[in-house]
Amino acid sequence: MKNFTAGFVAPFILLPLVVLVYFALGMADTRCDVKPTAWESAVMKPAVRSAVKRKAANLSAPGTATEDSIIAGGKLYVMGCMGCHGEPGKPFAEDHANYPPAPQLPHVGTQYSEPEIYWIIKHGIRMTAMSAYGPFYKEDQLWSLAAFIRRVDTLTPVEIQSIQPQKH
Amino acid sequence: MKTFLEGFAVGTLVLILLAFLFLETGRVDIRADVAPSPWTSSFLDIATHASVRRNAPSLQSLSSNDEQVLVAGGKLYLNDCAGCHGEPGKRSQFGATFYPPVPQLAQTPTRYNEAQIVWIAKHGVRRSGMGAEGNSYSDIDYGCLAAFIRQISQLPPHVLAAINPPPPAPVQSASPDQSDVKK
Repeated sequence: MKNFTAGFVAPFILLPLVVLVYFALGMADTRCDVKPTAWESAVMKPAVRSAVKRKAANLSAPGTATEDSIIAGGKLYVMGCMGCHGEPGKPFAEDHANYPPAPQLPHVGTQYSEPEIYWIIKHGIRMTAMSAYGPFYKEDQLWSLAAFIRRVDTLTPVEIQSIQPQKH
Repeated sequence: MKTFLEGFAVGTLVLILLAFLFLETGRVDIRADVAPSPWTSSFLDIATHASVRRNAPSLQSLSSNDEQVLVAGGKLYLNDCAGCHGEPGKRSQFGATFYPPVPQLAQTPTRYNEAQIVWIAKHGVRRSGMGAEGNSYSDIDYGCLAAFIRQISQLPPHVLAAINPPPPAPVQSASPDQSDVKK
């Protein structure tokens, strides 16, 4: 029994040490344009999803979004998000520049609810290219962006038309 | 000895399971606007530096004292990098909203050599805001850019003068235009 306990405790010291050495020696690849292993993605993606669901659980939208605020959110999307997340009405083009790649929202949509999208835009996602936009947008802008992104894969052609920047 | 190994195997499994549970039940803070512990930050920083040093090829750098090289690199930098990495004498507010925060190159000079800078710009840095620029630059452009970034905190005044005023704003920026947001 004494040996079993010693054996049980040993990996709690050894494994973190092995992980530290692995990273400190530079064995982890940093390149965005080289795909990481499947198990790494399989562990990290659900970790982000469940963190968003847990942390944003207490938020609720200030009300049902009006068509006007969805369009206003769409205009913000065109200005601030489209560069990485894709343009509504255009063919799919995967983001090969970043890892994790920026999801091409007009094509894949999102599984997150409006409060969760609001939370992500406001705080960003650590260790991705998604930065925090809290300092740049007002609350109502964040919510209308969230309402728009919730619907970004099911826009009508008229809606797509109405979010285009005005030509002067 | 046999019971030690049994204990070791069970301990390993339990540890992996605990780590997995911690991750998959959403207990990790993922907010980019809240810094993790200094311990985590410096660990990630060390891992990234070590990986770049290990993996980046050593290339012959351009003659980086050539002022034409610096000016050419500076123009590329102001167009494509300054939005997140800051300008000489001016930090980028946008770059501060990422985690890991975007290095403000003019304030905190890079520890990488030119070949490593080229490698980072070309391939990006995984799990950060640094995208891979890939074929968007020629090798010569990459060389100029790296020479400029290497010396950004100690540029000769006439190089600074030559790259200012910056060329018109890039076609499309990932950052929301703050002047528009305020309207």
